[in-house]
Amino acid sequence: MRVLLVEDDADLSRQLKLALGDAGYAVDHAADGEEAWFLGDTEPYDVVVLDLGLPKIDGVSVLERWRREGKTTPVLILTARGAWSDKVSGFDAGADDYLTKPFHTEELLARLRALLRRSAGIASATLSCGGLRLDPRAARASVNGEPLRLTSLEYRLLHYLMMHQGRVISRTELVEHLYDQDFDRDSNTIEVFVGRLRKKIGPDRIETVRGLGYRLTPLAGESDPA
Amino acid sequence: MTDPVGGSGENEPAPIERDSWGRWFGRPGRSLTRRLIWLASAWIVLALVVAGWALTTQYQETALRRLGNVLSDTIDEVVFASNASPDGVVVAEIKDARTLRALSGKYWAVAEPAPDGSLRTLVRSPSLAGETLMVPDELPERLEAAFGETISYNASGPLRKRLRVAASMKRLPGRDAPLVFMAGIDRSNIDADTRQFATFTWTALLILGAGLVIAVFLQVQIGLRPLFGLRNEIADVRKGKAARIVHSYPLEIQPLAEQVNRLLDQNQETVERQRTHVGNLAHALKTPLSVMLAEAGSQKGELPDLVRRQTEVMKAQVDHHLRRARAAARAHVLGERTPIAEVLDEMAVMLERVFEEKGVEIDWRAPDNLGFRGERQDLQEILGNLMENACKWAQRRVRISAGPTHLGQMVVVVEDDGPGLPAEQREAALERGARMDETTPGSGLGLSIVVELTRAYGGRITLGDSDMGGLKVLLELPAAEA
Repeated sequence: MRVLLVEDDADLSRQLKLALGDAGYAVDHAADGEEAWFLGDTEPYDVVVLDLGLPKIDGVSVLERWRREGKTTPVLILTARGAWSDKVSGFDAGADDYLTKPFHTEELLARLRALLRRSAGIASATLSCGGLRLDPRAARASVNGEPLRLTSLEYRLLHYLMMHQGRVISRTELVEHLYDQDFDRDSNTIEVFVGRLRKKIGPDRIETVRGLGYRLTPLAGESDPA
Repeated sequence: MTDPVGGSGENEPAPIERDSWGRWFGRPGRSLTRRLIWLASAWIVLALVVAGWALTTQYQETALRRLGNVLSDTIDEVVFASNASPDGVVVAEIKDARTLRALSGKYWAVAEPAPDGSLRTLVRSPSLAGETLMVPDELPERLEAAFGETISYNASGPLRKRLRVAASMKRLPGRDAPLVFMAGIDRSNIDADTRQFATFTWTALLILGAGLVIAVFLQVQIGLRPLFGLRNEIADVRKGKAARIVHSYPLEIQPLAEQVNRLLDQNQETVERQRTHVGNLAHALKTPLSVMLAEAGSQKGELPDLVRRQTEVMKAQVDHHLRRARAAARAHVLGERTPIAEVLDEMAVMLERVFEEKGVEIDWRAPDNLGFRGERQDLQEILGNLMENACKWAQRRVRISAGPTHLGQMVVVVEDDGPGLPAEQREAALERGARMDETTPGSGLGLSIVVELTRAYGGRITLGDSDMGGLKVLLELPAAEA
């Protein structure tokens, strides 16, 4: 497993390199944003540990560049400030996990193992509907190439609608497929989630069929590549 | 500026009293409105009193002058009708009905100065019916001094009526001794007219005055309306409904609005600066702490263990005090409004990804228009820590519901289906620095930060049992009116 470690502090880098090496990773180290971006762009890493406070280019910008270029390597961000706003901007840029400094080395290793497990075997059996794309293996969706930020309930709703696109699906059917058996089944909540989904994917993709339910269709003028 | 963000406690300004009577009456020094109205009213009353006095006086003067003309005419008639001789005077009949009818109210008399200084009546009009016209003591001297001219005075006549009397001393051909010609007329008519005029004038002026005072009142109200508007807008900023003063105001108070905006900017800037300093300090300290922690962790022995333990304490202390400083720097920022649904959404998306292995599902509900009266970063901090905690302890499910309550507050409930927290540990969990989640690494001060931020915003936090089986955290936070 190849890991890219991006950290500007020399002592911390040395320690992490040792620890990662002991855990069986092949470690490349970058000490600033520019180097990190170059390495991440040219080498096929399995996972990246990215400090946010970096010289030259900051961590969030590096991550954004990678994601714009289509790199899907899982990224764990290290942040010293620990503020949630930093974590949120890291996730918006495409991070998969975060760790707040100072941290225990074992914690970092555990998180990396989890990330690698998650990303293992991503195949592209993607669903699509017009500009909408959904990758069930990675549990990710995008609209017109822009990644969507969905909660798991929203994701499940979209997944179900995409699997049955073009067909009118009743609220009851959606409730049954969205919730576990022990979950509160309230068909009004479907409206809430459809509303939220519309906000994220555009208002016109999910059509309300009065008295019957909902239907997902490509937008007019959108060709369906699937 | 010595302490731009310091000062604890609420500096609540007095509530805005709209249209209360106390604003108009009472000590004028305290209210601009009152001052303007009192000043204008005093001026109006003074001007109207002077005008009323001038008008009534002028009216009376004119009436008396007209009466004086009638009396002069009468004297002239009598003079022409008189035939004087050293022995006496004979006045031919004057064809004026009023001087003939007894006690008609119009009289004349011809008299001569007696040696004792009084006047002796020689001839009198039939209307006098034997009475004499009253003569003031000093009249003969004054007539003599102003020989040939007419002197008017008030007198009491027959039937106790008030008379206007004119007298003139003349010398007639055929007689050396001077004669005094007098004419009198009842003035009750013109007195009544004057009274009526005065009544009418004062009534009209009173109405005019009242009208003017009302007009001033309205003018002040309308004129000062932008000022009230500005005040309400500033109140909105304080309440978190607006971030800045956005309306434009008249020339005179627009600079005030701009200064308020500049003050808001400055406040914001100061807070930002503070936060940047604090953040830099945190960043500067945390990387060395990470190094120490990792180095000590990689070695066995007493010293590494000690270093490791103490580094943990340092980390906790740094976290605690830096966040505390940030919390203090924050709650004072004015005019911020953060939609809670947005923050819940981004947190849910992020935390579900972080806890993907565990398969945690976050179900959140919040009205779209519900806003938190405060900074986005702070709400992220509060909800992030609570939700992260919930995800950490949950088996699978985390539920969050937010809704408005009365009095500009809102309630956020965060629940999970984890093991929950025994009642006796809840108190300790809310205390500063309590680390109940020691068994789950990488956490620590989450809850105490939430407690401090919540308190900084004047909110409340309570722990309880959830019907899902785990912990229920109930937050009360200030809501921003939409």
